[in-house]
Amino acid sequence: MTAVGTDTGAGSGGDVPVRRVLDRGSAARDDHADEDTDAGPVVQPYRLHVDGGLRTVAGAWLGDSLLTVLRERLGITSVKDGCEQGRCGSCSVLLDGQLVAACATLAADAADARVTTLAGLPADGLAPAVRAAFLRHGAVQCGFCTPGFVVAVTDLLGRRPQADEDEIREALAGNICRCTGYGRIIAAVRAVQADITSAGAEP
Amino acid sequence: MTGTRAALHRPGTVGETVRILAEAGDAELLAGGTDLVPALRAGTRRPRAIVALRRVLELRARGACAQALTIGAGVTYAELADWACAPGLAATARAVGSAQIRNAGTVGGALGSANPRGDLLTFLTAAGTDVLTCSARRGPRTAPLDDFLAGAPGRGRGELVTAIRVPRPRGPQVFLKIGGRQAAYPALVSCALVVDRAGGRVSCAIGGVASTPLRASEAESFAAAEIDWTSPGRDEAAWASVARRFGALVADAARAAPAQLPEGPRDPAAYRWHAAGVLAGRALARCFAGGDQEHGAPAEGGARMPHLRSSGGDQGHGESAEGGARMPHLRSSGGDQGPGESTEGRGR
Repeated sequence: MTAVGTDTGAGSGGDVPVRRVLDRGSAARDDHADEDTDAGPVVQPYRLHVDGGLRTVAGAWLGDSLLTVLRERLGITSVKDGCEQGRCGSCSVLLDGQLVAACATLAADAADARVTTLAGLPADGLAPAVRAAFLRHGAVQCGFCTPGFVVAVTDLLGRRPQADEDEIREALAGNICRCTGYGRIIAAVRAVQADITSAGAEP
Repeated sequence: MTGTRAALHRPGTVGETVRILAEAGDAELLAGGTDLVPALRAGTRRPRAIVALRRVLELRARGACAQALTIGAGVTYAELADWACAPGLAATARAVGSAQIRNAGTVGGALGSANPRGDLLTFLTAAGTDVLTCSARRGPRTAPLDDFLAGAPGRGRGELVTAIRVPRPRGPQVFLKIGGRQAAYPALVSCALVVDRAGGRVSCAIGGVASTPLRASEAESFAAAEIDWTSPGRDEAAWASVARRFGALVADAARAAPAQLPEGPRDPAAYRWHAAGVLAGRALARCFAGGDQEHGAPAEGGARMPHLRSSGGDQGHGESAEGGARMPHLRSSGGDQGPGESTEGRGR
């Protein structure tokens, strides 16, 4: 058994970690940080395998989500903070190869798992083609949802390269896009599939 | 350093887990995290300690014997969704959340959270499920799901759900849900219909109306009496009328249920009762009247806009969002799906 834990900073003045405020959600929380009730206790430093590297996370709250840690402690801002309820998909990452919402994953519990964000998708895999197809087909407008979509599409096409449109729509149902209406996103996915098929047929 | 001891525990076995639970008074169990982690962020739950179950591999087993399926608490929705042994359960799991949620959320998490709108709980209630738990004080125990859910306030501390046991499917099983959006949102109202052809029984559970899924026993007996179990084939018009009556009885049961969930601006109780009846009628029609059986591939999914189907009777209520989950094949039903196969293809 591993216990990643420590005393809390309650009442111990300087030991209370200062949380960087980068988003709207934390602002309200930090008002109460000195009460040590909102964010909960601090865990001992732990290491995360992110995008092929080992990163140390120190001073994080016990309850910090993987989204919070990736963005605010490790500076990986391609993981977007949309709903924090696991409903919008803009924080999609791979955890040991499974597509998950980083906002619904406890960071400290991911300590022995492999975390893959957009930047960690293999450069010799499908991700470059997916990115290019998104640009070519106008599947990017404001771009906020795009990193999550690229991770989700790359995951889908890696598992199910021949997915039909129904399956594509079902697989992407957890990723919300407020701009495109999804038509161009689907078109981009279909284009990648067509490229895979023709590349497979050529030699 | 002063202050309360607090920790993230990551045990490796069930035994270790229940010991930690017994020692740590105020600990939250963490499985997939889809409920707990957003709640931590929102500040609605503030545990001093978290017991994470990711490493407890023995919770991730599942197996089938002649009579029942046993599913470990750590089995995810995604793992259930492609399990051929349990088509109804698989179809229900497919209708939960989104791919991201299904990859993380677990059976044990659904029971531990006991969300009254939980899709899985509705199906498990209809299917007649036993819940296997373990605690340091009382050891392993088995309780019917109803008792487990009814004991919710006193349960919690110290007890770990280790598995569920579901009878093997013995007939068609249908799960339908209705809600603002199919993906990633809990259903407003859900309905599970489980038919036991061998035993001549129909079980119907409704979620989203009361604090736990409710069974519509009067409607169940009505359906069981109406069905000719020796040759279920029957013309569609007759089935439509049986389904309508069945739906009306389910709506009555919903109306009469104690512990109704609070009403919201978009889900007045009267709407939920009505929706329960519509879903139940549609589910029965689908089980017996040949509804959608040529839908071989279970690729119907959450992403689509709702569309109306012809099998449900009174669909004039506007919001007829239809659950993506359906029993893909009636494997155990002997092919007697009656006349009138639907002409609705899935290529829309």
